[in-house]
Amino acid sequence: MKRKTFVVVTVSILMVLLLSACGPTATPTAAPTSAPTSAPATKAPTSAPTNTAAPTATSGPSNPDTVIIGTTDKIASLDSADAYATHDWEILKNISDGLLTWKPGTTDLEADLATDMGTVSKDGLTYTFTLKDGIKFGDGTPLTATVYAAQLNRLLTIGPTCPNDVADTLAVPYVKSITAPDDKTIVFQLTTPIGFFPQILAGAPYVVSDPKTFKADACNLNPTAPVYGVGAWYIDSYDPDTQMLLKPNPYYTGPLKPQAKQVIVKFYSDPNTMALAVQSGEIDVAWRILSPEQLTQLKGVSNLTVGSINGGAIRYLILNHTMKPYSDPNVLKAIASAVDRNEIVDTVYGGQATPLYSMVPPGFLGATEAFDTMYGAPNLDAAKKFLEASGYSAANPVKLEMWYPPEHYGASTAAWMQVIKKQLEATGEMQVTLKAQEWSTYVSALTQGKAYGAGVLGWFFDYPDSSNYLDPFVFNRGEGTNVTAPQKGSLTGIPLNNKAKQLVDLLNKADIETDQVKRADLYKQAQDIYSDLVVTLPLFYLAEHVVYPSYIKGSSSYATPETLNIGPNILFYYSLIKKG
Amino acid sequence: MSPIAILALLIGIPSLLLLTYVFVRGSTGLRRYILTRIGLTLPMIFILATMVFVILRILPGDPVTSALGPKGTPEQIAHIRTTLGLDKPMIVQYGTFLWDMVTLHFGNSLVGGHRPILDEMSERFPATLELIVPASILALLIGVYGGALAAANRKRGIDFSLRIYSVVIYSLPVFWLGLMLQLLFGLRLMWFPISGRIDAVIGTGLKTVTNIYSLDALLSGNWPAFLSVLRHLVLPTVTLGLILSGVFVRMTRVNVIETLHSDYIVAARARGIRERVLIYGHALKNAMIPVITLIGLQVAILLAGAVLTETVFSWPGMGSYLVERISARDYTAVQSVITVFAMLVTLISLGVDVIYSLVDPRVRY
Repeated sequence: MKRKTFVVVTVSILMVLLLSACGPTATPTAAPTSAPTSAPATKAPTSAPTNTAAPTATSGPSNPDTVIIGTTDKIASLDSADAYATHDWEILKNISDGLLTWKPGTTDLEADLATDMGTVSKDGLTYTFTLKDGIKFGDGTPLTATVYAAQLNRLLTIGPTCPNDVADTLAVPYVKSITAPDDKTIVFQLTTPIGFFPQILAGAPYVVSDPKTFKADACNLNPTAPVYGVGAWYIDSYDPDTQMLLKPNPYYTGPLKPQAKQVIVKFYSDPNTMALAVQSGEIDVAWRILSPEQLTQLKGVSNLTVGSINGGAIRYLILNHTMKPYSDPNVLKAIASAVDRNEIVDTVYGGQATPLYSMVPPGFLGATEAFDTMYGAPNLDAAKKFLEASGYSAANPVKLEMWYPPEHYGASTAAWMQVIKKQLEATGEMQVTLKAQEWSTYVSALTQGKAYGAGVLGWFFDYPDSSNYLDPFVFNRGEGTNVTAPQKGSLTGIPLNNKAKQLVDLLNKADIETDQVKRADLYKQAQDIYSDLVVTLPLFYLAEHVVYPSYIKGSSSYATPETLNIGPNILFYYSLIKKG
Repeated sequence: MSPIAILALLIGIPSLLLLTYVFVRGSTGLRRYILTRIGLTLPMIFILATMVFVILRILPGDPVTSALGPKGTPEQIAHIRTTLGLDKPMIVQYGTFLWDMVTLHFGNSLVGGHRPILDEMSERFPATLELIVPASILALLIGVYGGALAAANRKRGIDFSLRIYSVVIYSLPVFWLGLMLQLLFGLRLMWFPISGRIDAVIGTGLKTVTNIYSLDALLSGNWPAFLSVLRHLVLPTVTLGLILSGVFVRMTRVNVIETLHSDYIVAARARGIRERVLIYGHALKNAMIPVITLIGLQVAILLAGAVLTETVFSWPGMGSYLVERISARDYTAVQSVITVFAMLVTLISLGVDVIYSLVDPRVRY
């Protein structure tokens, strides 16, 4: 009987423990690892209410000199001539610098390795920069303009042969040559004048890479540590499956001096585990990518801050202007009038997304809310009028087929496509059939512009400029709208109609304009025509989130310390984090 | 030497020696049996590899378009297709695939740095081994002793409790149990870490040779690292071990009960041998024979469980590698991992069969 009692008691204890695990976590008074006396006094254990239902994260740092950043992103390439992913760029921008950069927390440009913003020739084809003195790699090797130019030329020479091939998007179409007439001067000769070239130049593909590690004749996606650049940090060790250790570059002379003695970037395969890890204090920062549900839960944890960054990831409908019924402008306008973006973000994302009324998200040069101004959506009466102008009615509804990938953008895609279907059908004059297709089949069918009339896509900028939110959908770059038809030797193609021609002309003009005020105005005009044409239908954009405990701080010297100085360019400068 | 080569030597050489010993010292019948089993294993692996090849190709979706997304140009797509040999006729692809499997030339990954898949697996496999070995031991300890305890106390409270335990624990989804343990012991009590194989800071000082962190820490005399590895092992090992223990409890219980009714047990009991010695000294030994077969059969379930356990605990092993590569549609890596898993299960089954034939002389060769 003793054994029986033992087993019963043990099983009962286990069940109680398991059930208790499902409940809210304990307040700090119950936690065995109490906060050190030097911990920030935002939540003193003694003052914590013992019966509070709010879960609590650990209240004190465990390794005061080390900042541990968790992410579910994996490194695809550490070669700046090849890397083409947000997180790869983040690492590259932390270990090295370029001639220009963005002020932390903003998309405003400033000189970095260059002494100033450079000079532009009158024809807009030549950019000349002068290097600052005393720039050195992490191993002490001095940087000269000759070395810099040679390393940047890798973009033009071996770049297009590298697997991720950033060069074909961000270098080859724009840059003809990169030369160094002397040890201090770097000259970029462009293929065509480009107003947004400084924005491209501030990006990770244009940071300096170490010639000892990144040779002129080969891509090196997985260099062996240590990996040096001229930035605030260098990679001391790196295991692609577990973590990357960054240490301060002793020769760094720039403004972003590291606040911590080392930074560890820890890779997670499951965002849920990362969410638990930031609560338990295993990591100091949870950065990219947590689901809306996890964020909602973490917002309820005291001692944790969830910082939201109005980032650049947008979702939109591709509408093929050459396929029926989307070739009818009235049908496109009816769709634009009927869609209620607020309902989508509220019902599907619980407010974690933001309605988008132009392809250019707020905060970018010349961003407007053109779709809202033009259609005031949702406006079912207006939608009906557009449809009736084309002969549609309740008895003769327009039949729309809309495609989406059920897995690529997450399970929520099916949910918000259902919401859109319901909204369009609420007009009584549209009949929507939703069709799901596996991603790889879907994306080629949609972007080739021959099979699907309408479908869903997401977009994330290559460089933080309005042109990158408009040009790819208007010019014939394979996005499937077909508002311009491909033409050999032309970057823009043949516009579908007069309005499309106006739009192409405006964008071409804006792209080469170097005066930012004039550019902003041109983009505003372009967005008006874009919404009138309904080239695509912007729906919403997804904020990026960074989660951290109270002992982690951003720098108050720069913008948005509440998001650890991460701005709309989604660039996280590790140097600015302070722990303790 | 890569970690996988070291491991292959550590596991392969003793296994080969054992097989040679059995082959040389065993009877003619045993030799014939081993040869037959090896003869059956080879076509089994061939069939499995063929199935993996065919299934991945009839599934919808193109790996190249998937990897490149909407920004991929036709030139890039064509270039990668040529590099991967996807532009060749299916029969040529199949032949190349089989040869690559035989020569362990798995090619390069389509994503995540485009590294050689063999290198990636060689880093991941030791992590899985470090997880499944203690998990199997835990499952066996709980299962065998739990089963014997239940059999010894048949139709009593303890028997009922253990039977309920075995059913409940077997039915629990592994990710749910893992999550509960994380919430309880990781977040609430803070006894054990929630994720990873080693503390992030301590891990920076660990020199890896075999990539089995506990072994590497021991070899380098890095005791903080060793303790950290052990602490990180607890929750994933318990999760996987508990899930597997249920079936062992049931199997052992049934076999021990059956053995306790054998004539030799009745005779031993009549001679006054103590009940405890009878159960644990005599009955359990004989009841273990079918359990050995079960161990072989459980390897597949163990690996499947490891896939989920590794994902839940961000344990960078073969399981989480497979999940990551399926999500990224890295078909080259997926077919390699599945083939390796299949080969592993088949080879362990072969090993178990050989051991079974040694342990139980009644097996007819």
